Amino acid sequence: AHSEESSPPICSLLTVGQAFSGTQNVSNLQKEEAWRVNVRIQGCDLEHGYLCGTMEALNVPMADTPVVTFWEGEIVDAKNYTFYTGKWEATPEDDIRHWTKFPSFAPLLSRVEADGGKSLDLSNYPYIFMRWKEQYFVNVGTDCGLTIAGFYYVCFSCSDGSINGFYYDPNS
Amino acid sequence: MPTTTASAVCTTVGNNILLRLTSGERDVKLKALRELKNQIIGNRTKKLSFLKLGAVPAVAGILSDAVSAVDVADNDENDRIVKDIIVQSAAVLGSFACGFEAGVRAVLDAGADILIQRGCLVEEMPLLKSYMEVVDAGARSLKMIYQSKMAPKYDFLQEENMEFLLSLLNNESENVSGLGASIISHSCKTSLEQKLLFDAGVLKRLTSLLGGSLIQRDASLESIATIFKNNPEVVSQFVGPDTGRTLSCIIEIVKDRFARTRLLASLCLIVIRNASPCYLQDVGIKTKLINNLLELLDDPGRVGDEASFAFSSLIAEKEDMQKLAFEVNGVDKLYNHLQKGSLHPRRFEGILLALADMCSKLECCRSRCLSLQVLKLVVDALAHDSSDVRSAACMCLRSVSRSIKNLSAGSFMNETIVIPLVRLLDDTSTAVQVAALGAISNIVVDFTTRRSTFIRLGGVKLLVQLSKSMDSTIRLNALRALRNLIFLAEDKCKEEIFMELTASLLASLICDPEPSVQEQALALVRNLVDGRINSVEYIFAEDGIILDAVGRQLRIASKAEIEIQGMYVLGNVATGKESHKEAVMDQLLLRAENKAQSCIIKFLQSNDSRLRTAAVWAVLNLTCSSSPGSSGRLVKLHDAGIVSHVKNMVNDPCLDVKLRVKTALEQFNSFDDSLILCIFSPAASNNKASTSCLQFLTVRAVGELSHVVDPSSKEEESIANYFRFSMKKNKKKKSTRTVKFCFDVPADSL
Repeated sequence: AHSEESSPPICSLLTVGQAFSGTQNVSNLQKEEAWRVNVRIQGCDLEHGYLCGTMEALNVPMADTPVVTFWEGEIVDAKNYTFYTGKWEATPEDDIRHWTKFPSFAPLLSRVEADGGKSLDLSNYPYIFMRWKEQYFVNVGTDCGLTIAGFYYVCFSCSDGSINGFYYDPNS
Repeated sequence: MPTTTASAVCTTVGNNILLRLTSGERDVKLKALRELKNQIIGNRTKKLSFLKLGAVPAVAGILSDAVSAVDVADNDENDRIVKDIIVQSAAVLGSFACGFEAGVRAVLDAGADILIQRGCLVEEMPLLKSYMEVVDAGARSLKMIYQSKMAPKYDFLQEENMEFLLSLLNNESENVSGLGASIISHSCKTSLEQKLLFDAGVLKRLTSLLGGSLIQRDASLESIATIFKNNPEVVSQFVGPDTGRTLSCIIEIVKDRFARTRLLASLCLIVIRNASPCYLQDVGIKTKLINNLLELLDDPGRVGDEASFAFSSLIAEKEDMQKLAFEVNGVDKLYNHLQKGSLHPRRFEGILLALADMCSKLECCRSRCLSLQVLKLVVDALAHDSSDVRSAACMCLRSVSRSIKNLSAGSFMNETIVIPLVRLLDDTSTAVQVAALGAISNIVVDFTTRRSTFIRLGGVKLLVQLSKSMDSTIRLNALRALRNLIFLAEDKCKEEIFMELTASLLASLICDPEPSVQEQALALVRNLVDGRINSVEYIFAEDGIILDAVGRQLRIASKAEIEIQGMYVLGNVATGKESHKEAVMDQLLLRAENKAQSCIIKFLQSNDSRLRTAAVWAVLNLTCSSSPGSSGRLVKLHDAGIVSHVKNMVNDPCLDVKLRVKTALEQFNSFDDSLILCIFSPAASNNKASTSCLQFLTVRAVGELSHVVDPSSKEEESIANYFRFSMKKNKKKKSTRTVKFCFDVPADSL
C-alpha cells in the first residue's frame, strides 16, 4: 500500500508560476550547442503526480524566434508513477541508466532495481524526480525542424530549486 | 364574440354546480360533487375557474357537515349517502391540490387538510371495513396535498403525531400507508427528526412495504432515502441482521421494470452511500448504479429529466465514481443527449451539471469533452432563457477549463466564449453571475498575452464593479477572477487593472467584513506586486494605504489562509528596493495591541507549515546578502527575537520549511564574516563564485530560480542530449515569484 506520507514533499520552489532559466546542451560527436532555456510551471497537482508548464528555447539555430513548447510531467511518487516509465519506448534499463546520471539518485538505486521504488519513502527526500514530455509547440509549427518526440528525465532539488535533466529519444 | 361566450358557458355551468352544492338535498349535493370532480380532474383551467368561483371553501363546508353527520354505529341508507359525500368531497379537494399550487393554497386556507385528517382518518373509521372507502379517499387526498412544498410541516416531535403516523404506516391500505410514507418524505428535514423516525422503528415497516404494490414501493423508497439523507449516524445504526436484506432488496429494485421505481431505488442507494461510505463500495454495485442512471436518461419524461441530477449526486466530488463513469463512456452518453436539441430546460440543466461533475477532477473527461466539441453546445446554453440552464452551462465551462493544457493552448480565451460569458456578469440572476464568475476565474488564467481579449471586451470594468457588490458571494468571486487575471500579467495589463480597481478599493477589500473576501483581496495584491520591481510600487500608491491594510490584517487576523496570503504579500514586497524592504520591516515589527511580540513570531510558531514557510520566505528576502541594508535589518530582526525563532526551526518537521530555514541560517552566517558556505563548489574558471552564490540566494528568495552548475559534473554522452539550468548572469533581478493563482477551487486543494 502506498500511503500519502511517502510521496515527495511539497516544495515552495516547485509551484505554479515558478520560473527557471538555464541552458540545454546538445553534445555529441556531430555538434555542440547550448540553447538558453526558460521554464515556467503552469500546473501542479501533487495528488495525481502531475505537473505541466512551458519551455522556451532561445537562440535555437534553426529557428528565427524563441520556440515555446508545452510539456506535462509525471512526478515519481510511488503512488501515481514509479521510476519505471513503462512507455515512450523507454525500457527499464534505459530508465536506470538515466536516473543514475543524477548523483542524488545513487542512494535509491538498489531499491529501485528491486521494485521500481514502490516501497520508497520519498517524503523526506530533498529531491523530486520527474519525467517531462512535451505535448505541443505553442508558437511555431511542427515543421520548425525541432522534435518533441522524446522526453526528459528530470531531477529537482528542493533545497535550492535547481533542475537537471537528460533528454531521451531513441530515434533521435 | 366567441371567447366571451365560451367563458360565459363555463361560468354558467360552474355556477350551476355550485348552486346545487348548496342544496339541502343530499342526493343533489352528491351529484353536484361528482360532476365537479369530473370537470376538474386533470384540467388545470377548470380548476382555476372553479377556484375563482369559490368552490374550495364550499366543498370544505360540505365535508365538515358530512363528517359531523356521520354516525358510525349506523349503517343505513342515509349513512351511505353521507359516506359517499365525504368520499366525493375529499376526492374533489384532493384533485384541486393535485399538481396545482393555487389549489393547494386554497385547500389549506380552507383548513381542508385538517378536516380530511380528522374526518377520514382519525377515530374509529380506519378500523371499520365499511369505512375503508372513506379512509382511502381521505388518504389519497392528503397524499396529493403532501406532494406540494406548501403542505404544512408535520410535527414529528409531538407524540400523538408520531403515533398517528405509525398507525398510517401500519395500515393495510396502500393509500393509507402511502400517505404515511409521503408525510415522511415531505416533512422530515432535520437530523433530529430522522433520528426520531428511525428510533420509532419506521424503517422496519418501510422495508416491508418495499415488497408491496408499486405505490407502496415507490413511496417507501422515497421515505427511506429521506430518513438517511446526510445522516451518517442514522445510517451507521442501520447495522444489524436487517441491513443486508434491505440493501439487497433495494439493489434488486434497481432493475425494476418501471423507470420511476428504478430511479427512486438508485436515489435511495446513493443517499445511503453518500451518508456512509462504508456501504455499497463494491465496484459491481457502483457500475450498476452508473449504468442504470445513464440508461434512465433515455426516458423521455420526468424520470429522464431527474436521472441526470441523480447521476450528479452519485459522482459529485468522487473521483473514483467519475473514473468508472468515464470508463463506461459516460461523457459520450451525456453528450449524445445534449446533442438532441430542444431539450426541456430541466433536462438540459441536469445534463450540463452532470458533465460539470464528470469534468471536475479528471483531465481525461475534460479532454473527451473538448474532442467531442461539447464546448459549442455549452456556449450556446450560456444564452438560454432559463437561468438554471445558464448557470449550469457556466459550471460546465468552469470544470472543463480546469484543463491547464487547454488553457495554455488558448482553447478558451476567444471571443466566442468570452463575449457571452462577460454578458452574464450583468445577468438578472445572482446565481448566474456567481456561476459566470467561476468560469471566468479559470479562463483568465492565461500564460500568454491573450488576456487582453478579456480586457478589451470590458471584462475588467465589470469585475471591478462586481467586487463592490453588496452580496459578499459576488464580491468574493469577482475578486477571485481578478486575482487570476492579474496572475503573471504583463505590466500594461496590470496597470489597466490597477487603474480600474484603485488603491482605496483594494485597501477596503483587504479589510472587508468577510474573511474569505479579505483572503482573495490579499491574494490579488500578492499577484499584483509580483513581477518586475516596479510592480512592487503599486502597494505604495496613495500613501501606502494598501500596505498599511495588509499589515493591519496580519496583526488581527486569525484565519490561516488570510495570514498566509498577507505574509506572501510582504515577502514579495521584500524583494524590491531598499525602501521597500524597510517598509516591510516597519510593518512586521509593529505590534498589535495587547500583543507582546510581532505577528511574524506567531506565524513562525504556527502549527500550519504553509504559514511557517511564508514567514521564513519573508525573512529570507529581507536578509538577502546582496542588499546593502540587509545587515541592519538582520540586527533588528535579531533584537525582535525573530532570528532566534528561525534558528530554532532548524529541524522543522516540514521539509520545505527546514530547507528554507537552512538557507536563512546560511544567509545569517554570511554576515558573520565567517566562510561563506557555498552549496555548489565553484569551478576554477568561475571567479564569481561567491557573488554567484549570493546572487543565487537572492534569486531564490525572489522565487526565480537558477543554479550554477558545477562544471565538473558535466558528462559526455554520445547519444543522449542533456540539459542543465545554469544560473542567470543577468543581475537585473526580478521581483517575487512566490505567487499563486487559483482555479475556482483554492490552489491548495487543486
